[in-house]
Amino acid sequence: MEVTVLVQATDKAFEILEKARNEARELLYTSAKLTSETKSLAEKREARAFLSGAQQARLALRNFTITFFILFIFWILLSARFDAFHLTLGIICSVLVAYLSHDLLFFNVRLGDFRIRARRFLQAGPWFLGQIFSANLHVAYLALSPRMPIDPQIIRFKTKLESDISWVAMANSITLTPGTITVDIREGEFFVHALDKKVAYDLNTGEMEDKIAHVLMEADHVYIQDVLDVSRIFGALK
Amino acid sequence: MTRITDDVIIRTVARILIPFIQLYALYVIMHGHHSPGGGFQGGVILGASFILYLLTHGLEETKIRMSEIKAGLFSSFGLLIYSGIGLLCLILGSNYLDYGKLSTILKVMPAQARSLGILGVEIGVGIAVMAVMFSIFFDISTGGELPEDEQNKRGAR
Repeated sequence: MEVTVLVQATDKAFEILEKARNEARELLYTSAKLTSETKSLAEKREARAFLSGAQQARLALRNFTITFFILFIFWILLSARFDAFHLTLGIICSVLVAYLSHDLLFFNVRLGDFRIRARRFLQAGPWFLGQIFSANLHVAYLALSPRMPIDPQIIRFKTKLESDISWVAMANSITLTPGTITVDIREGEFFVHALDKKVAYDLNTGEMEDKIAHVLMEADHVYIQDVLDVSRIFGALK
Repeated sequence: MTRITDDVIIRTVARILIPFIQLYALYVIMHGHHSPGGGFQGGVILGASFILYLLTHGLEETKIRMSEIKAGLFSSFGLLIYSGIGLLCLILGSNYLDYGKLSTILKVMPAQARSLGILGVEIGVGIAVMAVMFSIFFDISTGGELPEDEQNKRGAR
């Protein structure tokens, strides 16, 4: 008698676990789909269909507010006049432009992602500046030494980054770093012109990719610490 | 027919820059009396931002943002603001575009009323110039096809 009850209870427990596992897997897939930026507005609208009406409104409101603040700061930088008339004009103009173009600036950032991305961006900023500084020194050494030991080459590599904005951030960081220039991005492959073997090697280690994937919260990106944190959950789900 | 560009860098950077270009255009319009600029210059920059969107993101998506009908309406609206302010001065008993008379409505000194009147006129000019620049470029890129022609073509097929 007790055995039957035990068997029933175990069955019920397995059922609940199975349902929870399926739901968690669905959530994983949906969030992965929403993370990567879609290639066109039409696809973006399809992806937004996952969100409910209230969530879409919140997303639009959040984009609008952040765009408004950034534009207002830009206005103050442009016109350094702080009397009431010009500030009111600034507010009206920022509201107008934010209303016209609020979905342009932050194209597909999920709700709740923004603070994390901003914090990670501020943390990764100094690292990028340090890279630019050291690459500057290296290129200056190359240019000033009498025999000029450059070895220009074009490297191709595929990245694990998958959204538009990550590609552009990667391409611009590569171009900003002295010694490398992004020549083209074709079908997900980067073509980079590098000045000599050392800068090519620095690029191929993939550290810049890692940092950008970390800042922009790419779905496939995995830091060792994150793996250790979620390995228990991953193991149980899969 | 302008298509969306394949180059992801151009597409993304253009889309990020467009709000800043538009805000700069409005800054140029509003500060016409303090620094180089004014209505026409700001209007051209504002129109250029829409043209940039048209060049990088193609015709279909630009039609959603600013269609030909809206551009036509905006150009007339800008003209309405301009001549409306002029007529308002006329109605109030002075000459056409004599902004000093606006001080009776706005309750400020005549000199400040002139400044505000000019600002209003510049805003009208800016809107009209933006709309016309955009519609010229739009007409060129559609090859002069009107929406009715497109519909007739589709209906005939």
